[in-house]
Amino acid sequence: MSRQLTAKKLAVRTAAGLVLLMLAMAVCSFIGTEKVSLRAVLEGIGPQGTVNPDYEIFVKVRLPRIFLAAIVGAALASSGVICQALLRNPLADPYILGISSGAGLGAIIAVISGLNWTFAGRSPIAVFAFVGAIATVWLVWFLGRLTGKFHITGLLLAGVVVNTFFSAIIMFLTLVAKSQQVYATMFWLMGYMIEEDFRVLWVAAGCVTGGMVALFYVAAQLNALSFGEQDARSMGINTARTQIIAFAITAFITAIAVSLSGLVGFVGLVVPHAVRLVFGPDHRQLLPISGIVGAIFLVVADTFARVIVAPAQLPVGVVTAIVGGPFFLLLLVKYSRKVSWLK
Amino acid sequence: MSSIIEVKDLTFAYTSQSTVLKNISFEVKAGTFLAIAGPNGAGKSTLLNLLCGLPAKRSGTIKIDGAAVESYSTEALAKKIAVVRQEFIPVFDFSVVDTVMMARTPYYGPIGFGSKTDREIVNESLKATDSAQFALRPLGSLSSGERQRVFIARAMAQDTPILLLDEPTNFLDLKHQVGIYDLLKSAQLEKGKTIVAVTHDINLAAQYCDATLLLGADGGYQHGPAKDVFSTEQIQKVFGVKVFAGDIGQEKFFLPLGKLAKGSE
Amino acid sequence: MKDHHKLIEDSQSGNSEMSKWCWLFLAMLCWMCTGFVIFGLHQGQNPGAPPLPAQAHRIVSMAPNLTEILFALGLEDEIVGVTLHCNYPPAAQSKPKVGTFWHPNIEAVIAAKPAIVITLGIEQKSFADRLSRIGYDCLSLNIEKLSELFEAIDRIGTAVGRQKEANQLVSDIREKLSDIAASVGKENKVKVLWVVQREPLRVAGRDTFINEMIELAGGENAIGPTVYKYPPIGAEQVIASRADVIIEPSMTLQELAAQQDNALKYWSRFDNLPAVTNKRIYVINGDVVSRLGPRLHQGVETIARCLHPGLFEN
Repeated sequence: MSRQLTAKKLAVRTAAGLVLLMLAMAVCSFIGTEKVSLRAVLEGIGPQGTVNPDYEIFVKVRLPRIFLAAIVGAALASSGVICQALLRNPLADPYILGISSGAGLGAIIAVISGLNWTFAGRSPIAVFAFVGAIATVWLVWFLGRLTGKFHITGLLLAGVVVNTFFSAIIMFLTLVAKSQQVYATMFWLMGYMIEEDFRVLWVAAGCVTGGMVALFYVAAQLNALSFGEQDARSMGINTARTQIIAFAITAFITAIAVSLSGLVGFVGLVVPHAVRLVFGPDHRQLLPISGIVGAIFLVVADTFARVIVAPAQLPVGVVTAIVGGPFFLLLLVKYSRKVSWLK
Repeated sequence: MSSIIEVKDLTFAYTSQSTVLKNISFEVKAGTFLAIAGPNGAGKSTLLNLLCGLPAKRSGTIKIDGAAVESYSTEALAKKIAVVRQEFIPVFDFSVVDTVMMARTPYYGPIGFGSKTDREIVNESLKATDSAQFALRPLGSLSSGERQRVFIARAMAQDTPILLLDEPTNFLDLKHQVGIYDLLKSAQLEKGKTIVAVTHDINLAAQYCDATLLLGADGGYQHGPAKDVFSTEQIQKVFGVKVFAGDIGQEKFFLPLGKLAKGSE
Repeated sequence: MKDHHKLIEDSQSGNSEMSKWCWLFLAMLCWMCTGFVIFGLHQGQNPGAPPLPAQAHRIVSMAPNLTEILFALGLEDEIVGVTLHCNYPPAAQSKPKVGTFWHPNIEAVIAAKPAIVITLGIEQKSFADRLSRIGYDCLSLNIEKLSELFEAIDRIGTAVGRQKEANQLVSDIREKLSDIAASVGKENKVKVLWVVQREPLRVAGRDTFINEMIELAGGENAIGPTVYKYPPIGAEQVIASRADVIIEPSMTLQELAAQQDNALKYWSRFDNLPAVTNKRIYVINGDVVSRLGPRLHQGVETIARCLHPGLFEN
């Protein structure tokens, strides 16, 4: 029975993962187009009338981006785990239930309406994207239920229909809009990382971590749900409650991630699979480890995005696809015997 | 011996036209083995689902251990009834021991892990179903029969007084069919579990059960010990098939013979 | 007895269930409160160095025409960062690079320790916002029309304390433009089709600065008013335009002659167009006509030479 997961093993692995994450963040914060030296950074703000560029770059540009990447990566990877668990489908990702097109529609409406106001210091795009994401998920949920309570296929189909329909609207609006606005939206749709306000990062970090803990609370029930609703209910799981909690929290943290950094693809789909291939499908472990791996992955991917074609910034979604694809393929080949749905 | 399952005047219909169960009444005494048989569409699986508390418009009462089944919360009911359905491989392949451990989910601590007691119960179930040797293997690597035994082990790990099984020996070879019935019977005799199994095999049912519930497609039913319920005439009436009857000790066995079968000349 | 089951079961596991959710909620609440204590409730920017005063004489320019303006104002020594494509005047090419117009590099901008960063257009608005948010002075200018060019020069002059030079520059440009306008004023207006892209075919519409340049050079746009500034058009509209002259600005500055031959061949399919029959198809240096900057008069003159070649024979 030594291969069974215990609370202690999980705690050790999570702690090790967190250490790795902090290491990755520390190393990546010194990588960029400009050379930044640790000593110069530690000297702090220059005396009045001068500027310490190392400090400025490190504290105002690098750190916010790195933290943002970690938060978004963790959110997307955890969401991916939950979406695959709820839909019992290995091809599910956090965007499958309408979040991507809903957020995109919100963003492009904000861009086109030409609103200039800021909401708590955030541009209207982020707010509209968040609202759009949540509203669309609610719409998909509502449509899915028309086919029956918690009917998985119905939910998936509703998600596909809504995504397709909203994408068409987005394309239409893109054609009608002025070219500069279109450029801004296109960039957003491919996922980007910019320096965020530390206050916003703090709140986002709290929400995402809290969400992940809440999801961990229902992780054991999600294990049982892998056997279908009937079996799970026979084992004493309150399936309705579990699914609603998981669904709502996933939608929430994904909406946060998307409103902060646009649509970063691949993380939510690939990281859960990679972690599952190595650590197994137990959601109590899969969830925290995926979150950590997702964070590390996006921090590294963003670092690549910043330096590979400097001074241009690759949209981080491009890097996640290019970096993630072959890596995932490698893992798949190595562990393919473990994966039953590949046989 | 008290009745652990009491069904009175149960009537259920999917639509207003097709009444599947009509005024069914029967009792299952604690620690006995009930086999539910009948042709396809007679409502065997439906009855099983209703016994598990499936919320549905029905009339009549179903009582589990003296209380109406609707009055149980999901978790409370899971401590009375464990269900074994058709085995399958879930999309994400868990190991055998992890699968069986899931039965203990209602007993997990606040962080979502089981205690030593839970692990012991799981080990016991694995041993009882002869599955301990593949404890760490993923479900997908087992044969159907081995997997069905794991599902039974999971139900046994729930440690409930009642075990419901829906056609547990479908698609299994003779060895595994017999193995599973022996397993269920020993669970009944050694642990005092009440077994209710839906089955297509009336002969195996007759050999192992204490009572039979034979459901007819017209909504009618017969309840009683196997030798009272099964007879050539009854089987002809309910299943529409001619059978050749023979004796094994106290029980009879029935071999269905179609028109072109060799023995029907 | 029956209702007891539900109650009994729920309360046993219920307590630990509820409490872990309560703990989580409390923890999140504490986290949020701590955040507000640390960072304050006001719409603050990140804590950081106060910006250098504008008179600290360190300017970063984020667009080629802005660079040209700054040089024209005599600010060569104060420029500490330009974009990759800032190629005029030649001295600009040796300045430190901070990215391109479409891909500005915020780290390079900060490394240049600017006192003020000048950005162009809505395209760079988010970049300007980012810089302002971390405490850097940004001057965002829109230069899409002739009038906006003069306005921009004026605002730059004010921001860096060179109003006199700015006024001088503006009147210089105006003077040169009116010289050209005077010489072409009496001529008939030539119909111009200004092609910015061949496939799909896009032309400059009436609501562009290119149109203004065309009109200053004594021409008029062969295309009527359109919704888009640079509309894609079809063959029908090309023929209906009855353009006298086709002008294609080239982004590669070499071998303009070869490109012109190529163009003649390409447009020969529209053999009904006056521009084609009279072989009045011109490929010109794109730089001078794509930037609204101090070399505006050069651009207008180049166009005028195409439209009224007779006037410039000397």
